[in-house]
Amino acid sequence: MIVEHLELVDFRNYRKERFELTDGTTVVLGNNGHGKTNLAEALAYLATLSSFRGVSNEAMIRHEAETAVIRATVLHPDGRRSNVDAELSRGAPGRVQVNRQRLRRARDLLGTIRVTVFSPDDLGIVKGSPGERRRYVDDALVALSAKYDAVRLDVDRAVRQRNRLLKQMAGRMDGDDAVTLDVWDARLADAGERFGEARAALIGRLAPIVQEAYGDLAGPTSVGLSYEPPWRTQGLAAALAVARTADVRLRASTVGPHRDDIELSIGSLPARSQASQGEQRTLALALRLGTHRLVSEQEDSAPVLVLDDVLSELDASRAAALLRHLPVGQIIITTAGAIPDAVEPHRIIRITDGAQV
Amino acid sequence: MSASYTPVVQALIEEFGRLPGIGPKSAQRIVFYLLKLPVDDAKRLAKAIVDAKERVQFCDRCFNIADGPLCPVCRDDRRDPTVVCVVEEPRDIVSVERTGEFHGRYHVLMGALNPLDGIGPEHLKVRELVTRIGSDDIEEVILCTNPNTEGEVTALYLARLLKPLGVRVTRLASGLPVGGDLEYADELTLGRALEGRRVVET
Repeated sequence: MIVEHLELVDFRNYRKERFELTDGTTVVLGNNGHGKTNLAEALAYLATLSSFRGVSNEAMIRHEAETAVIRATVLHPDGRRSNVDAELSRGAPGRVQVNRQRLRRARDLLGTIRVTVFSPDDLGIVKGSPGERRRYVDDALVALSAKYDAVRLDVDRAVRQRNRLLKQMAGRMDGDDAVTLDVWDARLADAGERFGEARAALIGRLAPIVQEAYGDLAGPTSVGLSYEPPWRTQGLAAALAVARTADVRLRASTVGPHRDDIELSIGSLPARSQASQGEQRTLALALRLGTHRLVSEQEDSAPVLVLDDVLSELDASRAAALLRHLPVGQIIITTAGAIPDAVEPHRIIRITDGAQV
Repeated sequence: MSASYTPVVQALIEEFGRLPGIGPKSAQRIVFYLLKLPVDDAKRLAKAIVDAKERVQFCDRCFNIADGPLCPVCRDDRRDPTVVCVVEEPRDIVSVERTGEFHGRYHVLMGALNPLDGIGPEHLKVRELVTRIGSDDIEEVILCTNPNTEGEVTALYLARLLKPLGVRVTRLASGLPVGGDLEYADELTLGRALEGRRVVET
């Protein structure tokens, strides 16, 4: 899949700017703070309808503007073209048009455009909190099958409703509360089981691919991903029943997919605490490369690949290894420094202060 | 921004801002439109609101919108009193009525379980539903709450509450839109339709 052009209106620091992109490699040059990552963020928004920096839609709208627009022309592998028009508004849900047809829900766009972003923040997947690992896995799930977006929202909704109910109970539970809590438990158990199963299946598929990607970047080393929350063995319904007394007392849901972790290891040691910074960075790259390969394989077409300022973070040999192992397809590399030797750009875009020069 | 309006205008904007689906921007737009309106038009609108509030009431039995103690559906003795369709809002009755497929009576819950909005069973017309089942000759309750998280949870709550009372409890099937195309069905809807598949009658 190729994004042929991208137009940004009132998005971050862009007023109105149209970028002509190309198959092969495009290098985006510019100083820090001038809008390189914003460009990457806009592209990724079309794939996930959220910011990969984890901010609200509102944060992506230019200060003085009410709405931001991201427009793109996408060439699909079968030769079809679609014009996508995504609008972000303050205090209102986003709207999306494809070929001038308004989608009933913006989320129906998911699966139309696939983008993989490598960012220096990916290090957080390895070093950060469990939430960052969950986000990595859940985003990959949705990228592979858009239906999991609805399951993810359902889990999230059930957890938030259950937590609010527990707060309203204020540490005590009478018979009526127990009956109401029962039905929220049933809902959370149902959605959570489905989501946990999907996560486990994905980790199973991903583990060998990440292992291989790590080997490509740093030579043979054993790398592990495991997802084994205790509730998955007894079943979430049973686990929620066991946790109920504690949940009522703590006024929060202490068990479920929203509390899970995905354990990462390098050479059988926990990657979060026992690996060097270089190994952690390589693992983060291997994780991204892994989902990219999985999606490419499944869709028979590579997602648009964005390397946002990651080459400068790597030593020369790993940067070269990464570039050597990038799949063919559309690649967008942003950098504040010089173009790395191993990169042969088909197009160069220079950005200063939210404009091309 | 708020400081620049007179208190009268500001109060009106705030009133409109409280309405469902109206944000501060829309409230402002409506108020400035109203301010430009001829006085008679404005009075007519105000009167329509007051009239509706004074004359329209909720049905004593099913909590549908009514102009007397009972709503038109409950007054109509051709309707089957043994089947009750439970909906979240009075407007859902309009949707079910449009199908022409349902000839029983209704029960409006006035919402769905939603702790985030502070709504528990005690805020819904649940006790009234249980009372109806105890006193009227109801044989079947059809749960027609919305197919979202809150609607499904409410349906489950009611099913657990009502089944021990000896009535048949059914849930609206979810599936494909008629006249639609399988190609365009989202995976979740299609999955649900598969789960709820039926034997073809031949």
